[in-house]
Amino acid sequence: MTVQTVLQTFFLAFFGLAAIWFAVVVFRTSSMVRSALALLFSQTAIGAMFLAMQAEFLGVLQIMMMATEMAIMAIFMVMYMMDPGGLGEMDMTHQKRLSQVAGVVGAVAALVVAFFAGWGPVAGSAPGAFEQTRLLGLEIMERSMLIFETAGVTILTAMIAATATAIAVREVRKRGEGE
Amino acid sequence: MITLVVALAVGAALFGIGLYGALSQTNLVMIMMGVEVMLGGAMVNLVAFWRFLHPEVFSGQMFVLVVMTVMALEMAVGFGIGTSRFRSVGSVEMEEARELKG
Repeated sequence: MTVQTVLQTFFLAFFGLAAIWFAVVVFRTSSMVRSALALLFSQTAIGAMFLAMQAEFLGVLQIMMMATEMAIMAIFMVMYMMDPGGLGEMDMTHQKRLSQVAGVVGAVAALVVAFFAGWGPVAGSAPGAFEQTRLLGLEIMERSMLIFETAGVTILTAMIAATATAIAVREVRKRGEGE
Repeated sequence: MITLVVALAVGAALFGIGLYGALSQTNLVMIMMGVEVMLGGAMVNLVAFWRFLHPEVFSGQMFVLVVMTVMALEMAVGFGIGTSRFRSVGSVEMEEARELKG
């Protein structure tokens, strides 16, 4: 085991534990703002894991996207929650036992696969950051062009659908029916 | 091999926590947070598969970009529905949204 592998494993475990801890905090705290910030830290730790796995482009993209996304989410949470500060200690959960069982079963099933599947030989090195970005660009523009285009159209459709859903419905009154 | 297993274990734990959150919360925004955590776990697995199994094939990274798109779309459509519910009912509590069952 080389020094690089040891360091990579250490940082993966460190940021992984941080991501797990903050993900738990998301559902443990009563304050909605704290919850949004905990999710931001969890997703940033995931971005740091990408960087530790030498996926520089995806790591930076993840951190940038999540910083923006969670800032927007925090605003919406304060707007829509009945108790955004969590001072009233409201219980906003249901079917807790079922959810715990489902979560544990899902995690354990994935862990069993992770530990016992035959993954084959592990690659020693990945292409450099510059080469990776170039190859990802080629992948997007050549083999995965159709998928990329489909994602673009889907984004456009979702933007229109979200705006149309969120627009306030106003009654159209006929002329002469009064105010 | 241990590095791959560490990454996959983190992904599995995040998936389990996200599943618990998505099923246990009654608020729309909190349910979306659970889904985001689950997708985060899936992305960790995808990047780990790319890095440790096939670093020469970039469809793994492409898949991560698609998952990131799905995360953004889920947020946009979720908040659209949330805004609509808040305007009509004054709440985004999903226990009060039984009529959405159809």
